[in-house]
Amino acid sequence: MIARMRLCVAPLAAALVTAAVLAAPASAATARAAAAVRAKLPNGLTVIVQPSPRLPVVSFRLVSRAGSVQDPAGKEGLARMTAELLTQGAGTRTAQQVAEDIEFVGGSLEASSRTEQFTVSCDVLKKDLATGLGLFHDVVVKPTFSAEEFARKQEEALGTIASNRSEPSVIAEQAFSSYLWGDSPLAHPAIGTEKSVKALARDDVASFHRRFVAPDRSLLVIAGDVEPAAILAQVRKAFADWKPSGEPVRDPYAAPAPVAARGIRVVDKPEATQAQIRMGCIAVPRNHPDYDAIQVANTILGDGFTSRLVNAIRVEKGLTYSISSGFTQHRGAGAFRVSTFTRNAKLRECVDATLAEIGKLANEGPTQAELDKARNYLVGQYPLELQAASDLAAQIATVEFYGLPQDWIAKYNDRVRAVTMADVKRVLGAYFCSDKLRIVVVTQGDVAKQALDGLGPVEVRPID
Amino acid sequence: MLRRLCLAAALLALASASAFAAAPKPAARSAALSPERFRVERDSLPNGLQILLHEDHSVPAVCFFQWFRVGSRNERQGITGLSHFFEHMMFNGSANVPPKQYDVQLESQGAYSNAFTSYDQTAYYEEGGTASLETMMRLDADRMRSLSLLPDLLKSEVEVVREERRFRTDNSVPGMLDEALYSAAFVASPYHWPVVGWMKDLERITRDEMVEYFRTYYAPNNCTIIVSGDFDPAWVKAKLREYFGDIPRQAPPPRPVNAEPEQRGERRVSVHYPSETVTFVAGYKAPAVSDPDHYALEILASVLGGGESSRLHRALVYEQQIALSADAGFRAQLEPGLFEFWVEMKPGASGADGEKALYAELDRLVKDGPTERELQKARNQVESRFVYTLETNRGAAQMLGRYEQNHGDYRALFDAVDRYRAVTAADVQRVAKQVFDARRRTVATLVPENETEAAR
Repeated sequence: MIARMRLCVAPLAAALVTAAVLAAPASAATARAAAAVRAKLPNGLTVIVQPSPRLPVVSFRLVSRAGSVQDPAGKEGLARMTAELLTQGAGTRTAQQVAEDIEFVGGSLEASSRTEQFTVSCDVLKKDLATGLGLFHDVVVKPTFSAEEFARKQEEALGTIASNRSEPSVIAEQAFSSYLWGDSPLAHPAIGTEKSVKALARDDVASFHRRFVAPDRSLLVIAGDVEPAAILAQVRKAFADWKPSGEPVRDPYAAPAPVAARGIRVVDKPEATQAQIRMGCIAVPRNHPDYDAIQVANTILGDGFTSRLVNAIRVEKGLTYSISSGFTQHRGAGAFRVSTFTRNAKLRECVDATLAEIGKLANEGPTQAELDKARNYLVGQYPLELQAASDLAAQIATVEFYGLPQDWIAKYNDRVRAVTMADVKRVLGAYFCSDKLRIVVVTQGDVAKQALDGLGPVEVRPID
Repeated sequence: MLRRLCLAAALLALASASAFAAAPKPAARSAALSPERFRVERDSLPNGLQILLHEDHSVPAVCFFQWFRVGSRNERQGITGLSHFFEHMMFNGSANVPPKQYDVQLESQGAYSNAFTSYDQTAYYEEGGTASLETMMRLDADRMRSLSLLPDLLKSEVEVVREERRFRTDNSVPGMLDEALYSAAFVASPYHWPVVGWMKDLERITRDEMVEYFRTYYAPNNCTIIVSGDFDPAWVKAKLREYFGDIPRQAPPPRPVNAEPEQRGERRVSVHYPSETVTFVAGYKAPAVSDPDHYALEILASVLGGGESSRLHRALVYEQQIALSADAGFRAQLEPGLFEFWVEMKPGASGADGEKALYAELDRLVKDGPTERELQKARNQVESRFVYTLETNRGAAQMLGRYEQNHGDYRALFDAVDRYRAVTAADVQRVAKQVFDARRRTVATLVPENETEAAR
């Protein structure tokens, strides 16, 4: 089955959170979401319960202040390895028993680690809540980290790293991140490198878990068909044995310096007939007051079928199947970025046209019609993100994780509608770069180098 | 699910709806799966347009599907990829909606549109606030009545499609293997050619061929409209008559020809491409959705490949540690298809070792059948997936479209509940024995160019 749009490309900004109708008055016929209930456990764990009783499902989502930014130098991949191992044996269960018990009830239990968010989620039907909570607690608090499972997962990570070298979009993402963030802890891929993964030891994982996946640096969101008082009592009891780490809660990276000059890095993939392209520059963190204006401006530039980039590069010129712009926004740093791909023969035309579109919008600003459309689009797409309990939990967790106001979700529509033309023009000028930026291209090295001649300094590298 | 590894969440939701099973007890079933709880109203227009309405007022939004019973199975050699090309052209202008205006008008109202094409169907959907519903109907009626197919746009849009093909197939290992598998396994079935089409066909398709295809397959009598979400059904029914009522019915489309002969021996095909790992995909000939055995086959796929506790993951990834991943998938379609296995080996491990381990697991299942606990687990999994599908308007609408398409009546989904529940261990063993016949197997292997030996 194939689809019309850029379904597989570049995760847009982690931060495109939506949800507005939570606090909006329900239409007469319906009871929409009730208010969320918050609690803080003695061990420091923040708990938020969002009842949403439409279907008999319960979604747990724990987010800790931990991720690849905490990977020690030379041991890149540690945070991800810790997440991988969380479900491979916990409490009294072996890896196979954990998998069997959650899958038997048709539920899911997953742990993952990204740049600065370590997430454990569990989704079960309401009738299986006790099973789900028991498993969820055990993998969060009492993972076994057995030597055998560690050795197995280490081998698997090395295999995945090798396999990734034949995935053009993965190569492009990793190369762009490395190029843009430079020597920041934000730069390296979460999976690490062959060398750093080989340097990991079982005790590193146990220690990472003890220090960083701890209640005093975590929040837990529960959404779905639950009664807040009852589920809170269960959670208090279940997580009473979870010990705080006392580790200072801080972001272990500084905001990187702006990109000073245009630079181009080509990753040589000799058999490629299509060039993967990424470009962008340093912008602002997730909790920046310009967030809403940035979202509106980005919608105009590169989000949706009527955006400037899709119109110019895909519709008008037929250069690509997919192009989008977005913002990657962390707690302490952010970036503007564009992702696309084109056939090798059109590489230069595609890059030039993309840069020209960004520059034109940044210089001239949008039309009033474009501004109105973008605001309507953001507000209109918004409720769709609230339907599934797991989506709702994820959005509430994002608001909490980035320290946004508690009414952030409820006020979403108001804030987007309040973005003015002046706001949009200002952020376009401030963050949407077309001159001083980093460009990464993955395809045949000699072809790309020749095509990009004169655009800026070009270095050609092998796949990492 | 397996065939297109690179999928939108929406499509995954569809895949997960492909199989859902009986809840373990009647109380749980009635929670979501019964006709009393999952309410659907059927309507139709004199021109043959079918309509399914599912109200759900949880959020002030709607999902609107235009589901056409045409896919690549309706094509022939020389016009492969035409169905999917329409998926693009349907957004490029109609009599009263100039090019680009379709998306502009929708997005201005806060709505979003997309579409997907497969062997059997082409489905278009829009999602947005309830206030945008009339715009959706007006736009979709206009393109159904009077699609423009402007020559300039045909020319530029085909470049977009060719770029899509380069992205999904020509530069993607799973894409290459998928195409190699189906074109080798099927010689005279319409599943022989890829949904996206052969590159050279994409270059030669003519406007006349498109006009004829549109008239035949985009007629109201070949379409189902599905509306799911927060709307007033009486108002919607009136508006559908207003917008779609005068679009003329056409002669029923011809039945696609499927002359596929019996397969009498294993087929092996290799794709040479730089890679550090060997990936292979094995497909066994399996029945169409019209064969009631597909319920047991879907349960079987779950036993073999449903998560880390499934047989293949346990054997190849966990115990023998020779593979990075090992999955099984079966999804019944309108024509007989394939029961597929996808295995990516660890670096240095050969495809031969992977195949040996895979076939040993299949032999064991054929010999002993599944355990009662495995059966129950598979039923629980399909049931919960069904509940999760209902969490979104699009999930619910897509599920209705799929059952309506495959069974001619969406109510087959309520029957499916009992069908899954009725599957026994003996059924699973019987269908495994029937399907896992080496003479009806096709294997496509990615041979790393730098490491040819590894794939032997």
